[in-house]
Amino acid sequence: MRDLHLSLNQTQRVRLQAALDQLESYAASTAAAAASVTVADSIPVNHEDNILKGHGTSDLDGQVVATLCGVVERVNKLVYVRALRSRYKPEVGDIIVGRVIEIAPKRWRLEINFSQDAVLMLSSMNLPDGIQRRRTAVDELNMRSIFVENDVICAEVRGFQHDGSLQLQARSQKYGKLEKGQLLTVPPYLVKRRKQHFHHLDQYNVDLIVGCNGFVWVGEHVETSEKESTLLSDKPSGKQETDNSVPLETRRHICRIANAVRLLSVIGLTLTVESVTETVEASLRSNIEINEMLGSEFYVQTVEREAQRRASMVRKRS
Amino acid sequence: MAASTYSPSQGAERRQRQQQMRRLSIQSDWDRSDGRSFIQCRPAFLRTGAANAASGSAYAEFGTTKVIVSVFGPRESKKAMMYSDIGRLNCNVTFTTFATSLRGQGSDNKEYSAMLHKALEGAVILETFPKTTVDVFALVLESGGSDLPVIISCASLALADAGIMMYDLVSSVSVSCIGKNILIDPTNEEEVCQDGSLVLACMPARNEVTQLTLTGEWSLPKINEAMELCMDACLKLAGIMRSCLKESANLSN
Repeated sequence: MRDLHLSLNQTQRVRLQAALDQLESYAASTAAAAASVTVADSIPVNHEDNILKGHGTSDLDGQVVATLCGVVERVNKLVYVRALRSRYKPEVGDIIVGRVIEIAPKRWRLEINFSQDAVLMLSSMNLPDGIQRRRTAVDELNMRSIFVENDVICAEVRGFQHDGSLQLQARSQKYGKLEKGQLLTVPPYLVKRRKQHFHHLDQYNVDLIVGCNGFVWVGEHVETSEKESTLLSDKPSGKQETDNSVPLETRRHICRIANAVRLLSVIGLTLTVESVTETVEASLRSNIEINEMLGSEFYVQTVEREAQRRASMVRKRS
Repeated sequence: MAASTYSPSQGAERRQRQQQMRRLSIQSDWDRSDGRSFIQCRPAFLRTGAANAASGSAYAEFGTTKVIVSVFGPRESKKAMMYSDIGRLNCNVTFTTFATSLRGQGSDNKEYSAMLHKALEGAVILETFPKTTVDVFALVLESGGSDLPVIISCASLALADAGIMMYDLVSSVSVSCIGKNILIDPTNEEEVCQDGSLVLACMPARNEVTQLTLTGEWSLPKINEAMELCMDACLKLAGIMRSCLKESANLSN
């Protein structure tokens, strides 16, 4: 909760503190004493031999020493430190949202909150005409008709090259340019890897894409088949498509969902489609205006609701 | 001088004060202006997460010395750079225009930038981010003496906050030699009339020194004494820095 500048009144402060205390007590009981370390703290390993030293650890006089601030995790013999605040660490198969920063020969460079820029090769994405063939020089010249600088696009992590740089692919209709919506950036640790990262919120006619890199896209729903047809058709229809604007109702929904994502990331709760829709519904139920969603009252309410949810979970388990 | 700008000239007054200090320094026993003893540091206030846009940041306040450091990255090195297996550390120290008592002096400080780089270089594990750069931007909000040590300590805190791998935190302390006395953590006016100064940056948990700067007149036994004093102070400062990081970790949980 680093970027929090709310002016709470006395009762709100008391309620928030109570809810936070409650949350803390559950966290303490569930997490197996999450040992947080800072740089150069020694990690106790009880003199076990052949311990595997993983990420964020180093050896000093036979002791395992942390080189990061974070939480110590143990998997059998492997000891590693999970950093609290760090950049996104990609894994093969992750769905990510990124922004094009440069067009280079046969490739686009994307900013994805990784320590290096990601590379999307022209050859590793479907061409608009949908035909599988070798990419020609003409395709290369027409790259700007597919993505230009500052476009927000969605892709999948294909793999790493030997020098550590990241390759992406977009070999399906669901990947590609994202239009008519908002891009939000949240800390990457708030997004957990799941089966589904593309969500179509039917009732709001909105697409929610939760990128593993902490970039979240909230935009108007697009039918993938329809997208294909627009891509297939030639330029005039493409221009027509940009002309038709998003209805006001959908824009409101987009803003509401975006504010729910912002609120959850400020509180530091994991972003899932369930938590987002739940927050949106709660705001609708209590008649909270979109601009008031980031205010102190709804903030306190959200924390309290989370505390209640965990309490009911604990009760169910016992 | 143009009448429209008002810049109080305190030259005469300052000179007088310096002479007084010098006279004092001849005596073996005198009081420091802020009532500390010779081997007492100023109270330290440290806080991480001072700037939101940065990957990591820290704010440090030692007496009247106020410093804010933001760390960006690791991010891709510029194209013009050659390929390298290890990462680059880019340090930049800036003074605000109102940092010193003489106004309008704010600018990049090349000397401090280079010294900050040298002090941190040994502690950061550069092998963990090849081809990329970590930028460290230090901004001195108010210069109240011993600026460089405060910048170094604050920068290592910001690096730790940004989740950059380090062997250890770097804590730094300076001492001044005035006459027969050794003063730890000198203020501006004490720095002005010093005979010599020593800045020590070290990694306390490893007992390794990353940087040692010695200027002015020193005798060998004095150097030894000053070194020991600094090492001890660094160890204690590292304790404060550690508890600051722990505190912020607990908050975010």
